[in-house]
Amino acid sequence: MIRAHALTKRFPDKDGDRVAVDGIDFVVEPGRVTGFLGPNGAGKSTTMRMILGLDAPTSGTVSVNGHRYAAARAPLREIGALLDAHAIHPGRSARDHLRWMAASNGIPTTRVGEVLELVGLESVAGQRAGKFSLGMGQRLGIAAAMLGDPPVVVLDEPVNGLDPEGIRWVRTFARQLADEGRTVFISSHLMSEMSLMADHLVVIGRGRILADCSMAEFMSDHAASYVRVKAPALTEVGRLLQARDAEVEMVASGTGRGSELRVTGLDAPAIGEAVAAQGLVLHELTLVRSSLEDAFMALTADSVEFHASTAALEGAGR
Amino acid sequence: MTATTVERPSATTPQPSPSGPGFGAVLRSEWLKLSTVRSTWWTLAATFVLGAGLTVLICWGNAEWLASGDADESPGSFITWGMMFAQITAVILGALAVTTEYSTGMIRSSLAAVPARGKVLAAKSLVVTVVLFVVGTLTALAGWAGGNWFLDREGIGIALEGDMLRAVLGGGLFVAGIGLFSVAVGFLLRHTAATISVVLALMLILGNMANLVPGTFGEWLVKLMPGNAGSAVSMVVPFNPTLLDPWTGFGVFALETGALLALAHVLLRRRDA
Repeated sequence: MIRAHALTKRFPDKDGDRVAVDGIDFVVEPGRVTGFLGPNGAGKSTTMRMILGLDAPTSGTVSVNGHRYAAARAPLREIGALLDAHAIHPGRSARDHLRWMAASNGIPTTRVGEVLELVGLESVAGQRAGKFSLGMGQRLGIAAAMLGDPPVVVLDEPVNGLDPEGIRWVRTFARQLADEGRTVFISSHLMSEMSLMADHLVVIGRGRILADCSMAEFMSDHAASYVRVKAPALTEVGRLLQARDAEVEMVASGTGRGSELRVTGLDAPAIGEAVAAQGLVLHELTLVRSSLEDAFMALTADSVEFHASTAALEGAGR
Repeated sequence: MTATTVERPSATTPQPSPSGPGFGAVLRSEWLKLSTVRSTWWTLAATFVLGAGLTVLICWGNAEWLASGDADESPGSFITWGMMFAQITAVILGALAVTTEYSTGMIRSSLAAVPARGKVLAAKSLVVTVVLFVVGTLTALAGWAGGNWFLDREGIGIALEGDMLRAVLGGGLFVAGIGLFSVAVGFLLRHTAATISVVLALMLILGNMANLVPGTFGEWLVKLMPGNAGSAVSMVVPFNPTLLDPWTGFGVFALETGALLALAHVLLRRRDA
């Protein structure tokens, strides 16, 4: 379990201090995958470095398994971390990288072979890590994280730059770790990826927690849904639905031809019945749920450090 | 929070202690780090080949002249001549052992595995120092053995005793010391090129430029510059008679290195990785 309390990190800057992490509280529970979500520059990596004792908090505390990380006798047995796939000397072989790490925590060398097998790198274990592809480097980083068979696993942007197969592998792996009862904390700025991987979300923006809830809750709280209606007599249908207290918006169709209605406040069966009662024709009646991506955009719109204009964002969204 | 979350940590994790991983384990991991990259072996090979080889070469080339009446230099100045180059490769080895961790980002892996940063610094220092002392002493010994073979033929051989024996051991000590000095500077500057340039400039250039500073202050500055103070122990005959005695000088150099290491320790603990 990871527990952060009033965790704060300020970096000295030309014009005063820049607050990277602003007094955040959160708990990462075992047995599930917790997604740590935020735009670039939101404070995710800084938070993760503080969990591992690499950055010292300006104030506040963070504990792993109930105590400060630095106090652990064998830290790699407490928490495994993938911080940066390139935190590896390019001239050293994968096996040797794992060997020195194992030695530092008194982990038997036999474990090196086990984790290499776990991530599927046995055949290239003797090769220099500098020759590895991004995906192989990421696997090596995950092998290193698993050396101490730790109850807590922290992965910072594990799918960054991976091909679809690699992404799927990480996803399955994270799931498996959580199912084994481990605490799994994964950061990402890719919302779509999180929606497939995480059970629980901690959303951060400009160093503050914007949401800390289950994936389902997040979707229902933040992801709007509407019914898409297409019909030959669109205006008439629109008026009809408005008369039934639905909120109706007419927008240009996504396909670029004609228009469509976006209806909220009335579900699809009710719309269909109402339209049929008037003897009108429908061409389409679809429930559209906005993706986690949209929900995240909506939530963090104000907290993105460097963002394109709103219009550009909306255009890119759909 | 369920019962399992309370039980799991106590059931699966060792009791925390403020000591972190044991020093022996950290020492072993630092040895593995050093011995599993090619640059280490290349640098050590260069130390030996340049250090011993150039000494032998210069003794071979000068033995006849040194034995003749025209010689205005002592054979003792030649029998450790190549060690100057061994010192440069030692700087490179000491610097690389630290700075590649920063350039590759590996320092974060290191400090996450061993949060007690002082242990990382101490173990790395010890491994580099011991390796360089062994290789440095062997290099000086091989240089003496090879060079002396030519000097001996001309009847001006130097027995491995007294100042010669001190210079061979001192050769290893200074090579180890300068490597350790570079480790400290590496932790301070965290950059390969900067570390190597600063140490070499300090040892080779500023040590000589200090001669331009006038008066007693200048005289002492020359004596106390790390390269000048530390190198006397590795020579049979001092290149500059005004320098500190070999062991006094090496003591000064050791203190300077120690001070730098202490500073590196403070900053390593204080800085974010």
